[in-house]
Amino acid sequence: MICFDNVSYKYVKDRESLKGIDLSVNEGEVILVCGPSGCGKSTLVRCVNGLIPHFYEGELSGRVSVNGIDVSQTTLRKLSRHVGTVFQNPRSQFFNVDTTSELAFGCENFGMDPDEIERRIDQTVNRHALGPLMDRSIFKLSGGEKQKIACASIAVEPLDVIILDEPSANLDHRGICELQKMIAAWKEEHKTILIAEHRISYLFPYITRALLMDSGEIVKEFSAEEIKALSADDLHGLGLRAEAMQDPVGLSIDTKEETDKSDKFILSNMKFSYRGEKPVFDILQMEIPAGEIVAIVGANGAGKSTFLRCLCGLERRCKAELKVNGEVWNNKKRRQNIYMVMQDVNHQLFTDSVLEEVMISLDKEDKDEALEILRSLDLEGFADKHPLALSGGQKQRVAVASAVASGRKIILFDEPTSGLDHFHMLQVSELLKKLRRSGRTLIIVTHDVELIKTACTRIIRFG
Amino acid sequence: MENTNRLNAKDLINVGIYTAICAVLCCAVAMTGVIPIMMVLLVVFVPIITGIPYMMFLTKVKKFGMILIMNVLMGAFMWVTGMSYYALIVGTVAGLIAELIYRAGRYQSKKCGIFAYAVSGIYCWANYIGIFFNAESYFSTRQNFGQDYIDAVTGMLPLWMCPVLLVVDILCGIIGGWIGAKVLKKHFEKAGIA
Amino acid sequence: MEYRLDRNIHSLLDPRTKLLLLFTSSVFVIGNAGEAWMNTFYWILVYLPVVLLFMEKEWKGGLAAVGIYIASYYAQRALQHDLTAVESMFALMLYIITKILPTIILARYIIKTTKVSEFLTAMKRIHITDKLTIPISVIFRFFPTVAEEAKAINDAMRMRGIEMGAKKASEAVEYRMVPLIASCSIIGEELSAAAMTRGLDVGKKRSCIWKIRFGFPDMIIIALCLACFGWWGIGRFFV
Repeated sequence: MICFDNVSYKYVKDRESLKGIDLSVNEGEVILVCGPSGCGKSTLVRCVNGLIPHFYEGELSGRVSVNGIDVSQTTLRKLSRHVGTVFQNPRSQFFNVDTTSELAFGCENFGMDPDEIERRIDQTVNRHALGPLMDRSIFKLSGGEKQKIACASIAVEPLDVIILDEPSANLDHRGICELQKMIAAWKEEHKTILIAEHRISYLFPYITRALLMDSGEIVKEFSAEEIKALSADDLHGLGLRAEAMQDPVGLSIDTKEETDKSDKFILSNMKFSYRGEKPVFDILQMEIPAGEIVAIVGANGAGKSTFLRCLCGLERRCKAELKVNGEVWNNKKRRQNIYMVMQDVNHQLFTDSVLEEVMISLDKEDKDEALEILRSLDLEGFADKHPLALSGGQKQRVAVASAVASGRKIILFDEPTSGLDHFHMLQVSELLKKLRRSGRTLIIVTHDVELIKTACTRIIRFG
Repeated sequence: MENTNRLNAKDLINVGIYTAICAVLCCAVAMTGVIPIMMVLLVVFVPIITGIPYMMFLTKVKKFGMILIMNVLMGAFMWVTGMSYYALIVGTVAGLIAELIYRAGRYQSKKCGIFAYAVSGIYCWANYIGIFFNAESYFSTRQNFGQDYIDAVTGMLPLWMCPVLLVVDILCGIIGGWIGAKVLKKHFEKAGIA
Repeated sequence: MEYRLDRNIHSLLDPRTKLLLLFTSSVFVIGNAGEAWMNTFYWILVYLPVVLLFMEKEWKGGLAAVGIYIASYYAQRALQHDLTAVESMFALMLYIITKILPTIILARYIIKTTKVSEFLTAMKRIHITDKLTIPISVIFRFFPTVAEEAKAINDAMRMRGIEMGAKKASEAVEYRMVPLIASCSIIGEELSAAAMTRGLDVGKKRSCIWKIRFGFPDMIIIALCLACFGWWGIGRFFV
C-alpha cells in the first residue's frame, strides 16, 4: 500500500530530515512511527500525505508511492482521495466555521454527489455518536471535541490510508479514549493507518508494527508483542513516554515531606461565568499550599485554564481574593505577583533576543543579573537568539526566566508538557523542582500522569 | 507536476490571512477617525501600521496575482465598511501596479517590496476622493454638524490637499514599508519564520 | 437517537441575496445616494438588518443595536445647530455610528448565517472566481482567530506589566504585532496544509451538501433592492 524506496529529505528551513528510508506497508496494517522529538517521524508521514514535496520546501530523493501512485508525480488534490490526515493542532486544521460543513468538506472538494456525502455523514455521525457535536461553531468546541471532529471528517471520506500526526498531543484522558475508538473502527474497516507519536501505550491494542526513528533513520522495528513487552525504563531509554493509560483524576501521590507546617495561601470567593452562562466554577474557599508543586487535575471543560486566568488576575469579572502571609491580593496585585506560563508560550515572548526578554522584566536593566538568570536556567547559550527561533521547551524556559526576573513567587503553568517527549518532559520536571527549591510556589494544570508522578507534590482535583 | 506559476490554495489562504490582519488593524486605526484631525491623519497611520503584516505577506508572495487580490479585497472591505467605492477602483488599479513593481524585483527585492507596498496602500487615500470631488453633496447631508465642523474639515481639505494627501500617503507607505522591513529583519527573519 | 443530516439551510436568505442587500445598503445607507428622495427606502434598509437578526433569534444583539441606533440618532438630531468644535466632533461620532451600525449588523448577520461551502458554491454560480471567494472565506474564518490571538497577547502583556509600552509607543506596537503575526503565520501554514490534504484547490469543480436555491424571502429582498435602485433612478433622471 505504501512504499518508500531509499527516500531522503532535507527541509530548507527545518533541522529535521530523513536519511535513506526503505519501508513497505501492507494494506490494513496499523503502523506506529515513534521516536523522540526531531527524529523525523512527522517528516516521514508528510512524505505519504504529499505535503512533501508539494507543500514544504526541501530536497527529496528516492521514491514514495501510495496505492501505486508516485507521490511526487501526482497532485495533493488527487492524493487527497486516498490519504487523509489528522494533525496535531486542533486549532488550525479546520477550514469551515461549522462542524457539519467541516465533515462534508473533503468529499465536496472531490466533487462527490451530495446524496452520497449525506449518506456517509449520517453513517459516520451515528457510528461515533457525534450527534451532539453537529451544527456547532468550531470556536465553541473544546480541544478534545475539535480533535474528534477532525477524526470524523477524515472518517467520512472514502480513503485507503489514514495518517495521524501526533494526534494525542492536546488531548486529556477521555479524549484519548475517544481517539482509541476511532482508530479501532478504522482498523475494523481494514484501512492502512500510520501514526507518528511518542505517547504510545494507548496505541498498543491496535498496532501491527512499530518503527523507532532517530536522526532521520529507522533504527529499529518492533512487532506489536515486542513493544508491549518493553518496560517503562526501556521505553524511556528510547526517548518514549511510558505512561500507562491512566486518568490523572484518580491519581494519588504520597506527600513525602511533612507538609502541615507549610504556609498556605487562602483563596476565597472565586466565581466565574461567561456572560449570560451558568458559572464555570464557584469556589468558596480553597487552600493552596505554599512552596509546593501543586497539580490541578480534572476533565477537559471543567474550567482549569480559566481558573488559572482568574488566579493570576486576568479575568476582570472575577473578583476573587488571595490571602498571602496575611495580606490580601486583589486582581491587580495578583497580576503583578503571579506569573502564568501559557499553553501557547508564543503569545508571551515579545522581544528580539532572549537576553532582552529577561531585561525588560527586571526592575533595573542589569545585564549581569539577566545573564545570571539565564545561566541558572541553562539558557546562556541562547542569549542572542530570537525567542521565537527556539524549541518549545526552550521558549518555556525563557518565559520562566522572565518570571524569575520580575521576582514572582508564584508561577502558574498551563499544560507545560503537552506534546513533549520523555526527555523534554523530564527537563520540565527538573525545572519545576529547581524553581521550588528557590522557594517558589508552582501551580500546574496538567493531565500528564508522568509529570505529576515525577514532579508534583500535591494534587488538587477540580470540577 | 503542477504548474508552479498558478495560484494554489496555499497562496489564496495566505492572501486571506494577511488581508484579515490588515483589515483588523485598519479598523482599529479607523476607530480614531471620528476626531476631525485624525480623519486626515488616517493616511499617515494606516500605511505605517499595516506595513509590518504587509512586508510579512510579501515574503509569501511568489506568484502573480496575490497582491492584486489582496488589494481588491481591501478595497471592497473599505467600501462595505463605509468609506467610498473609490477605494475599490483605485485599490484595484494600485494593486496591479504594485504587483508589477514587486514582480520587477522578482518577488524578492525588499526595495521593490517597500515601493509596492506604498503604491498598493493608496486605497487609503482614495477614501477621500469623495470629499474632494463631491464636497457639496458630502456635506449637504451633514448640515447639522454646524458650520464649525464643516469649516474645520473643509478647511483642512481644500482641493490642493488632494494630491498632497496622495504624496503623504505614499511617503507614509514607504516609511511603513521600511519599518515593516526592519521588523521583518529584526524578528521574523532572525526567528526563521519569514 | 439516530442523527439525520438536514441539508436545508435555515438561514432564510441565499448568499447572493445577502450580498445584493449588502451592496444596496452600502450605496443608500452609507453612501447616502438619493438623499431625501430615498427616505422611505432609507429607513427600511436601516431597520431590515435588525429584523433579520431577530429572525435568527438573536434578541440581545438586535435589541442592543436598535437601542444604540435610536439613542445616537436622536442625540445627533438634538445637537443640531451652531455647535462648537467639540460638540460637532461628538455629533459626527454619533452620525458615523448611525451610518455604519446598520451595515455592521448586516455583516454580522451574513457571517453568522452563511456557511463557507454554501458561499463558495453560490458565488461560483454567479461566476465569481474562487481566487476571490477562497480568500474571502478565509478572512471570515480568520477574524475570530485574530481576535483570540490578540486577546491572549494582550493578557500576556498585562501580566508582565508592559501593556502601556515599556519605553516608547513604538515598542507597544512592536510587542503586540510581532507575536500576533508570528502566530497567525504559523496557524495559516497549518491551515493551508490541512485544507490542501483534504483536496482544496483552485478552479476545480466541487460539490456542496447544502441545498442552495432562491426562496420566497429572497424574492422579497431582491424586489426591495431593485425597487431602491429603480426609485433612485427615477429621482435622478426624471424628477
